[in-house]
Amino acid sequence: MSRESFESALERLLAERRHNRRRFVGRAGSAAFATSALGAFLSACGGAEGEGGGEESEERAATVNHPKEEFDEVVFSNWPLYIDKKVLRDFRAETGARVKYIEDINDNQEFFGKVRQPLQQDRGIGRDLVALTDWMAGRWIRLDYVEPLDKKNIPNERNLTDNLRNVSFDRGRRFSLPWQSGMTAIGYDSEQTGGDVTSIEQFFDPKYKGKVTMLADAREAASMVLFMQGKRPDEATIDDILAAIEFIDEKNRDGHIRRFTGNDYTGDLQRGNIAMAQAYSGDVIQLQADKASLKFSIPEEGAILWSDNMMIPQKPRTAYGAEVFMNFVYDPEVAAKIAAYVNYVPPVKGTQEILAKQDAKLAEDPLLFPTAEDVARLSGYPNLSVEEEQQMNEAFEKVAGA
Amino acid sequence: MGLRRRRLLTPYLLLVPGLAWLVVFFLVPALTQLYVSLQDGNFEIGYTFQWNWATYSEAIADYDEQFLRSIRYAGTATLLAFLISFPLAYFIAFKAGRWKNLMLLLIILPFFTSYLMRTVAWQTILSDNAFVTERLRDVGLVAEDGRLLATTNAVVAGITYNFLPFMALPLYVALEKIDRRLIEAATDLYASRWQAFRRVTLPLALPGIFAGTLLTFIPAVGDYINAQLLGTSRQYMIGNVIQSKFLVVTDYPAAAALSFLLMGALLICVFAYARVLGARNLEEAVV
Repeated sequence: MSRESFESALERLLAERRHNRRRFVGRAGSAAFATSALGAFLSACGGAEGEGGGEESEERAATVNHPKEEFDEVVFSNWPLYIDKKVLRDFRAETGARVKYIEDINDNQEFFGKVRQPLQQDRGIGRDLVALTDWMAGRWIRLDYVEPLDKKNIPNERNLTDNLRNVSFDRGRRFSLPWQSGMTAIGYDSEQTGGDVTSIEQFFDPKYKGKVTMLADAREAASMVLFMQGKRPDEATIDDILAAIEFIDEKNRDGHIRRFTGNDYTGDLQRGNIAMAQAYSGDVIQLQADKASLKFSIPEEGAILWSDNMMIPQKPRTAYGAEVFMNFVYDPEVAAKIAAYVNYVPPVKGTQEILAKQDAKLAEDPLLFPTAEDVARLSGYPNLSVEEEQQMNEAFEKVAGA
Repeated sequence: MGLRRRRLLTPYLLLVPGLAWLVVFFLVPALTQLYVSLQDGNFEIGYTFQWNWATYSEAIADYDEQFLRSIRYAGTATLLAFLISFPLAYFIAFKAGRWKNLMLLLIILPFFTSYLMRTVAWQTILSDNAFVTERLRDVGLVAEDGRLLATTNAVVAGITYNFLPFMALPLYVALEKIDRRLIEAATDLYASRWQAFRRVTLPLALPGIFAGTLLTFIPAVGDYINAQLLGTSRQYMIGNVIQSKFLVVTDYPAAAALSFLLMGALLICVFAYARVLGARNLEEAVV
């Protein structure tokens, strides 16, 4: 790297520190006008290592204009099993354009590692849409890796639920729109636990030694322990997090934690290898179809609520096409179809009403539509600076090898 | 150009394709890797070249456990693969008769399925409530609250299984090549069957043993699939660390330094091994 580009990188880092400080002030202010409980939390949610975009992207956001254009393909990278493929066919029937739907995001970090180089060199990544979790979405916005949204092409954006409108990493949603939200807490096999799991303490009960798994993600794993220790993850300091990781290390060394998993905890749950897993809400509802004894618990100490956010990476082939697709999935009818399939929390207003007509049971499921009581116990991811994040990842990597 | 000069040049010209291959696919990547390993920085501001040798000492200090574990697991798996493969290869080479081709096919057949799929299949076979584990519990080989999956045994067994053909096939080739008349001659000279095996068959099979152990050991040390799917973080090998450094932590210098250290460690192992078994076997194994 030349000296010049190193300096500009350094500048960006310093600029980001400024943003961090501003966020601190901003958050205190936003709490005052937050209307709902979910609003208060989600505005702080997402970890968002910085607020808003880089200066360059702020400027671009102000003048964004994606005129109507012909497009025959939209390339969308998303997580596996995260859409009802019928929706893609419906989109083609309506617009004539194909969605090249790639399920190649298995892990935020890993995906970032894959596409970081072209992004850094200011090139496109051959995708018009990606869906990334809050903190990673924040990083992309901060690093100017995304194209601003032209809201004229997304009239359905008015259906976005209020509490997700003003998130700390993207004020006013100028670069991102939520794809789905969900919770990270405890999935368990009620046959093996012989009752309901209501507390994280149960997860670390010695009688489940070798029968529990945690996610191989520093944020997720540490957050669960933070809840148990009575700390809200979105208010936790790096020292709290390192202490939580130390606790996990201890539980791993003594064999209490069977292993650290990605999405593959589902296999262990299905085969009965484990009694409890740190799990994502939608996954567990999907697994219930095969194994009715599987349940998902939002423990009394609390759980993480996150969103995966659709964004247009820089230099897309068709920003307009991507926006037309976003508009399409923000139609409550379409959102209901997706929700019925993936069982996560839909970010689109009116979904619950439409779902109620098709599947009353699902429409009342608190895992799709959390109650106010649950919401009070939910928190976003920890807010960390770049250095703190690296510190956390390194510490956790030594524990979990991931 | 005179004939004389052309004669002098010919060997070098003949070497060009091979050398070019080595330069493009080995030297350039190796130097790039060395360059990356000496960088410093983080994933957001990017990495810059700094002659940062500290990465190496940190890598050794932090991951000596995984290094030693990799060598231990791969060594055990290689030994197990040898103990299983040698009788198998011996039988196919000397006793299988017309079944020879079928048996060779049977060794290779499972490997038409993807490596990953085969290992995932073992997850199901070894899972806690599966038939195998239950029966072993009945017999008392697995403790009542014990398990097979997510243990060291599962990882070593997985590596052994996955690399078995790399051991069995070179052994078979070496044994097949042996001139039977030599063994006959040995017995004619009053060697017992055991002596004939030890003095004739085994030494002649050495190139195969050498090739087989290297073909098994080297990839096994760097393997991370078995540890990831059949083990836990307590079984993670150096391959897991490199994979995670590269893709999850996105600490490229550390990943590159660890890969270099692994390469160095393997080279030392191979040279030591070649010294013990004799360099001639190395040549014959390659040919």
